[in-house]
Amino acid sequence: MRDAFSEALVRLAKADPNILLLTGDHGYALFDDFRSECPKQYINAGIAEQNMVGMAAGLARAGFRPFVYGLSAFIPIRVVEQIKLDVAHDKLPVIFIGDGAGFVYSHLGTSHQSTEDIACTRAIPNLSVYSPGDRFEVTVCMEMAYQSKSSVYLRMGKSDRGDVHASKPQVNYGDLFQVKSGSMAENLAFIATGSMLCTAMEIATEAYPDATVWSVPFIKPINAEQVTDICRHARAIVTIEEHSVLGGLGSTIAELSSEFAPVRIFRVGVRDRFSRYCGSYEYLLKEHGLDVEAIKQQIHGFLIGN
Amino acid sequence: MFNAKTLRKTVLEMAYAGSTVHIGCAFSIIELLAVLYRKHLRYPGNDPLAANRDYLVLSKGHGVMAQYACLRELGWLKDDAFSGYFSDGSELKGLSDSLVNGLEVTSGSLGHGFSVGVGLAMGAKLRGTDQKTYALVGDGEINEGPIWEGALFAAHHDLENFMVIVDENGFQAMGSTDEVLKLGSVQSKFESFGFVAMTIDGHDETAIDDAITNLTESKSKSPKALIAKTIKGKGVPFMEHDNIWHYTRLNAETYAMALRAITEGIK
Repeated sequence: MRDAFSEALVRLAKADPNILLLTGDHGYALFDDFRSECPKQYINAGIAEQNMVGMAAGLARAGFRPFVYGLSAFIPIRVVEQIKLDVAHDKLPVIFIGDGAGFVYSHLGTSHQSTEDIACTRAIPNLSVYSPGDRFEVTVCMEMAYQSKSSVYLRMGKSDRGDVHASKPQVNYGDLFQVKSGSMAENLAFIATGSMLCTAMEIATEAYPDATVWSVPFIKPINAEQVTDICRHARAIVTIEEHSVLGGLGSTIAELSSEFAPVRIFRVGVRDRFSRYCGSYEYLLKEHGLDVEAIKQQIHGFLIGN
Repeated sequence: MFNAKTLRKTVLEMAYAGSTVHIGCAFSIIELLAVLYRKHLRYPGNDPLAANRDYLVLSKGHGVMAQYACLRELGWLKDDAFSGYFSDGSELKGLSDSLVNGLEVTSGSLGHGFSVGVGLAMGAKLRGTDQKTYALVGDGEINEGPIWEGALFAAHHDLENFMVIVDENGFQAMGSTDEVLKLGSVQSKFESFGFVAMTIDGHDETAIDDAITNLTESKSKSPKALIAKTIKGKGVPFMEHDNIWHYTRLNAETYAMALRAITEGIK
């Protein structure tokens, strides 16, 4: 995923000299290619995220296309107000890349973990929120972000969970991707985003072979008609995300469903708590009940009660 | 144009019409804005959105009435915007908003405009234009951390086209800057960050003009800092140095007294 990100960034920047990459002293090896291919378009703004975002707004006003990179615990969380006032208020074409979202920095603790970023950014007017699920979706999201000419937050989570797509998918802006078809009789739909797309595919394939699986790389704006259609034809829906169940993908789907096509929705995600323990990524997923077995059990319980 | 007395009168009239606060905060920057607009800021074609304009970023957004008064003189704002200030559905807000042509940023939450200004200056430098960026900040505002993040960046990248102007009126919302969070020497602070800095009387238009000219014509590659010693509420004796005019609204009596003071130049 990170290679796809770097490749897209370098390709876009070589074609458009107005693209600038601003980093808050993060992304050491990630930007080796960018720094050698586009050295004049690289700015290390130092460990000073608030100023970096304000500057990005100024640079965008002066006609540049800034990509602002940081860990998602800092970009956007530390700088929500700068994003709101300096950038989104005027629909400035600044693209925020929040890397390492969710529990990627599992050993480092709460400061570097990020499970509230979608909720915080989704409520900001004029700001789009992307959450790609594999390297092909990263490429699509990067291209869409560049073409959108508006403010975008692109969330990158655990990057080595494998591919779901076989090649770069064709998509309309805001659409959900169906990554697994199902049977009309079963009518169980999984809707997942980011790192949890692979998990959703694994669970559906093993335990619910007739269920459909949808990927949501564009959390905002989202194709509301498509979501409504999925809800209308489903007996039940399971949303899965490496993010709080408050304000993220599950909330997005539940909001649309409750208004246009009510259906029971089970939101799998972080249950409004911080990590208590240190450990591997897999360990942290277990702590939060986001490993495959725990999710299977939760879904089973939900469906029995259905 | 940009007569200080006229500008203060405009501020007073709109503050009374809208029953608004932040009068003292606007009065302290009248001469600074007057000199900038009269002598230094370039708006080709008198166009507030001209691509090659200089940038004036009002980072202390609560001083915005002073800037509105200047935009009226430029013909960018019409008289009814002033008589209808704060009326329902009107355009001009109580803090700077970039939706108004001529205002570069949406400020009011402090410590934002400075960084946007650094970005504008960096953009001009990357493009190789001769555009200047002036960021006007309050002395209370420089409590904010991003100011100093941006100061490091501006100096590191030799943003000689960037000038911060500090309205050092000695007060912030809850009291004097000495009482709230001691600043010490603002000039030395910016100098230690790598700026070329000067301190002047912020109500002496000749001194302001000379200082801005000296700083912008300086051969130094460093960013510039102009520390303007000002008086909060300047121009109306009963408002001067009285921080209550950060919050107080005018009534018929105080409006008449203030108007007389400005018109007659009462000391």
